Amino acid sequence: MKQETIHADKVQLAYASILGNATTLGIALIIIDYILYAFQLLPLSLPIEQVAANWHLRASEFHHQLDAPLGWSCFSDPLKGDMLSYISLIYLGAVTMLCLFVAGIAFFRDKNMIYTFFSFAQMAVLILAAAGILSGGH
Amino acid sequence: MLLKHRSTRIVLSVIAMLLFMTPGLAFAAGAAAPVEITAWWVWVLGLFVFTFFLGIVAVVAGVGGGVLYVPIVSSFFPFHIDFVRGTGLFVALAGALSAGSPLLRKGLANLKLALSMSLIGSMSSIAGALVGLALPENVIQLSLGLTILGITVIMFLAKNSAYPQIGQPDALSRVLQIYGIYYDEHLKKDVDWQIHRTPVGLVLFTLIGFMAGMFGLGAGWANVPVFNLVLGAPLRVSVATSVFVLSINDTAAAWVYLHKGAVLPLIAVPSVAGMMLGTKIGAKLLTKVHTNVVRRVVIGLLAVAGLRALLKGFGI
Repeated sequence: MKQETIHADKVQLAYASILGNATTLGIALIIIDYILYAFQLLPLSLPIEQVAANWHLRASEFHHQLDAPLGWSCFSDPLKGDMLSYISLIYLGAVTMLCLFVAGIAFFRDKNMIYTFFSFAQMAVLILAAAGILSGGH
Repeated sequence: MLLKHRSTRIVLSVIAMLLFMTPGLAFAAGAAAPVEITAWWVWVLGLFVFTFFLGIVAVVAGVGGGVLYVPIVSSFFPFHIDFVRGTGLFVALAGALSAGSPLLRKGLANLKLALSMSLIGSMSSIAGALVGLALPENVIQLSLGLTILGITVIMFLAKNSAYPQIGQPDALSRVLQIYGIYYDEHLKKDVDWQIHRTPVGLVLFTLIGFMAGMFGLGAGWANVPVFNLVLGAPLRVSVATSVFVLSINDTAAAWVYLHKGAVLPLIAVPSVAGMMLGTKIGAKLLTKVHTNVVRRVVIGLLAVAGLRALLKGFGI
């Protein structure tokens, strides 16, 4: 019977390490920020009752009627509870980009140009989406 | 054996509780002025409890949380399907990010296999999300219903292959260096693997990415059969790499939903937290229940949710 051997290469291990740490931080952030938001421990840009009264509307109609956080607009007033909670979700959306950057550098050091290209091209797609260029942002 | 029967009964009771909860919520949702008669925190707390149980059931049944979340929550909660799809993506994304690190460390998820498929998949998931948020609601409900019913058929019929035999790896997979070795805990030995039909896989991942982005579904239900049955990767590698691909493709689509304002933290965070807590409990129950029985019940539940979405699409 063979003892378990780990076959992950060093690029995978680097990716796994940054992914694990960044995700743990992200989960902690979304929970803490949500507590600040839902218990209204910080001032809000939009009362929760107003959000709940309109959450049956299409997203476009919802934002037509209310001035709720949208895309990067949450950074305009990051000390509001709802903005902070939105920022924590944005952070979760950025974790993969950080990991891809680390993988791209590690592949480059390994002189693996195919996957250096794949990592940075994938990161570029996500950055363009995050910037709203590929994703219809405002 | 007795313990297994007891645990199975508990999980089936959880499913019954989900069904019991939902008509009550649906009744409230269908009332003339739901927001005035039901306090917001009741919905949020209800959503957390509901997704907690959904997380348990999803793991035990071996299906992704995202694929259960969108049809069921959009059917029985008062939130618009735009917000449910945006949240569904975050539910799938948070689960995939959490699971990704240990799977990569163990060498089960393969970075090269994932990156090769996710580049085109993430671009199509962005396109899917843009199309999904532009289409009229009834068209979305109709196509969601059809998709969910299609998924139930795939889940019902699909027979995975633990160790597919491959004659020759194709030229593209050789250029892309897609092969690997992992330690199989069941066989207690190292297993070498390689893949074939890489171009077919790229086409299929384009379609899967589009659908995942359009409906806010996780796409494990499609990723795993493509990796396993089409490309010929071992089942464990397929499942693990699928999770990893989800973390990339769902990120791409999630940005579209964020920019279009289709993500509300008020709904998204309790869903993510409930689902993650539930999947942890579900993972502990996994060895103690008859997963086949639970899986069949969940496939039935999914079929009902799909049918309901279809009827909503027809305005019934």
